[in-house]
Amino acid sequence: MVRTALASLAAASAALWTGGAAAADRAKATVACAPTAERLVYDCRIVLTGRKSGAPLEGAKLVVGADMPSMPLAHNVRPVTATPGGTPGLYEARIELEMHGEWALRLDVSGPLRDRLFHKMHFGGAKGAGTDHQHHMKK
Amino acid sequence: MDDHLIGILSNIGMISFIALSAYLLLIVGEISFGQQAFFAIGAYAAGIATAMWGWDFWPGLVWGAGIAALAAVLVGIPTLRIRGLYFSIATLAFAEMVRLVFEVFEYRVEIDGEMVGPDGSDGFRDIRYIFENDITAFEYMAMIYLLLAAVLAGFFLLERSRLGSIFRMIGQDHILAEMQGLNVTLYKILALCLAGFVAGIGGALYAHLTTFVEPKIFNVMLGVHSLAYGLIGGLGTAFGPLIGVAIDIGFLESVQFISGYRMIAFGGLVAVLLIVRPRGLLDEAAVNRIRLLLRRHA
Repeated sequence: MVRTALASLAAASAALWTGGAAAADRAKATVACAPTAERLVYDCRIVLTGRKSGAPLEGAKLVVGADMPSMPLAHNVRPVTATPGGTPGLYEARIELEMHGEWALRLDVSGPLRDRLFHKMHFGGAKGAGTDHQHHMKK
Repeated sequence: MDDHLIGILSNIGMISFIALSAYLLLIVGEISFGQQAFFAIGAYAAGIATAMWGWDFWPGLVWGAGIAALAAVLVGIPTLRIRGLYFSIATLAFAEMVRLVFEVFEYRVEIDGEMVGPDGSDGFRDIRYIFENDITAFEYMAMIYLLLAAVLAGFFLLERSRLGSIFRMIGQDHILAEMQGLNVTLYKILALCLAGFVAGIGGALYAHLTTFVEPKIFNVMLGVHSLAYGLIGGLGTAFGPLIGVAIDIGFLESVQFISGYRMIAFGGLVAVLLIVRPRGLLDEAAVNRIRLLLRRHA
């Protein structure tokens, strides 16, 4: 156990020095969240595609978490694993926030490729609809 | 190990650096509300080095921490001539200034057809070194704790050295220290430089773990928390702030069922702790008692 941990630590340390092959492609996400009947609970639909290929990312494991940038480490959401939504590249996740405001959704993708994406969104409040990080979704 | 648990442990490890940074200044008797600025500078500088200039991780980390230390010295020269509350306000003002600079700081280059780099208030995305080099979350967590162990070892050596004694002497009574012939301002600048370096390491680790930083993260909330860790955990030993971080993040994670009320409960817990143990759980008296106990059983 200790030997395995040390070996992986040494491998990681070496990789941090030497670098490695860059991933062939990266993920791109389009996110839309809609309020549910329950207060502060949102259903999010996430479409994952390859950033270069543009092809839907199928068979990926997608874990969705959220942090409130204005309160680092204090307000976060326990990550949930998204389920495939029926069409290629579509994933669905239900998240429960602690309060309204600006949140950064953290999307951890693994499977066909490994990536971490952030998607800033505004939940509730007085801000109007607009860019991705200013969606108005009061419930 | 569960990915969520790895995430929490990694956060505890990373935030321990900024906690140790604030602790070092508490030891020399200064309360800084601005350590988040050095954390931010370390994050941005290391991120720029690896994501934009193509540096390897370790040189990038040292660069980030070094720039943070340099910034700390430049801040220390004018501010450490003032003391107490005035110094605290000055560090808070500096941290807000740094945050606002990052709100407008744009420096982007095209890499593989993508624009990469700090983009003002939209933050700095794609600091993807650990993803591009297949470092797993567990391996990165192990690296964080390896670095934390090295920094802790440095703190223990420092506290057993003449320099550590001088730092504590200045913290206890800076006038008496000056009367002993010590250049108090110089030693405080040295402490601030070391504290900036340690916070910079934390920032560099944070940027590479999250792959994304934005100015809002480095607000006064982070500064207050970093200060609170030492005050909760205790000022008797470098383990104190680490205990503070574990209590903070551990408590907040364990009471997720009360969602938005967690911070209110945590605030109450901190207030009670500070009334019951004003210098934290592991204060100097507690550390001395533990040392005596260990000597008796050795």
